Amino acid sequence: MVRIRRKRMHCNNKELHHRYKTKRRTKDLDQIQEDLQPGNRERLLALPVDEDLPGLGQHYCLECAKHHIDEAALARHRHGREHKRRLRDLKAPAYTQKEAEAAAGLTTDSGRPTTRSATGPLSLLLLKQKNDVAAQQSQPAPAPAPAMDVE
Amino acid sequence: MRLEKCYFCSSTVYPGHGTMFVRNDGKGFRFCRSKCHKNFKMKRNPRKVRWTKAFRKAAGKEMTIDSTFEFEKRRNIPVRYDRNLMGTTIKAMKRVQEIRARRERAFFKQRMAGNKEREKELDIREIQKGIHLVATPAVAAKEIQKASETSKQMELD
Repeated sequence: MVRIRRKRMHCNNKELHHRYKTKRRTKDLDQIQEDLQPGNRERLLALPVDEDLPGLGQHYCLECAKHHIDEAALARHRHGREHKRRLRDLKAPAYTQKEAEAAAGLTTDSGRPTTRSATGPLSLLLLKQKNDVAAQQSQPAPAPAPAMDVE
Repeated sequence: MRLEKCYFCSSTVYPGHGTMFVRNDGKGFRFCRSKCHKNFKMKRNPRKVRWTKAFRKAAGKEMTIDSTFEFEKRRNIPVRYDRNLMGTTIKAMKRVQEIRARRERAFFKQRMAGNKEREKELDIREIQKGIHLVATPAVAAKEIQKASETSKQMELD
């Protein structure tokens, strides 16, 4: 029996590299959310006949940005796990550069007077409050503690 | 000099560092290193990847609302150079950093509060469950007796 190598596998995974090539890049979630807007939706669902696309480009799944060969394949795709996962992903608003900057604590100041969003260490105080409430709840009644253990 | 933020992990991208990907609709994405670029190519959501700033903020691992975040801004109106203003700004930056570090430490402490007791409780429970694996019969009997005593005490309480 030969031991299967676990290290240095990714650089040899040709299939993966093939998929990540820029020329095969599929649509991102924010682009799809744009496609789902009322104006674009109708346009994409009524595409002209295109010989180069699968099924002449007539059976398109908007959410997955994918052409299917016929109506049956499209229906099967809609029942599948991948499509349902995509629907779930699309519910949340797409991630943006603005969100990345906000996470780093950087906002934009365009000179307009804005109301200060925070005064003092608000998140710290909120967390402290939460911890205090939790401590108070667990302290006066030591008897229910073993009951919690059962869960 | 404009310091950008990485699209994926929100770290600062200094001039001459990182890569930029321009999508075929003209939208640009900046990355601090190949790790972030690769993760983007895999279509991962930064909100769900645990090592990104976006995840840590969204999951309550770090401070999100704080007055010390009110100072760093992308200002679209240029400020005329003034030596005194520059001096005070640099002084203020250091001071703000100090305050933020202190608050972050306090936040971490609050977040970890009660962990030790919880872990101890779990450990004790595990030992009680698997006592037959580790102890000689005499010790096991003693342990069972102790456990019954504590449970009796709890009932009395």
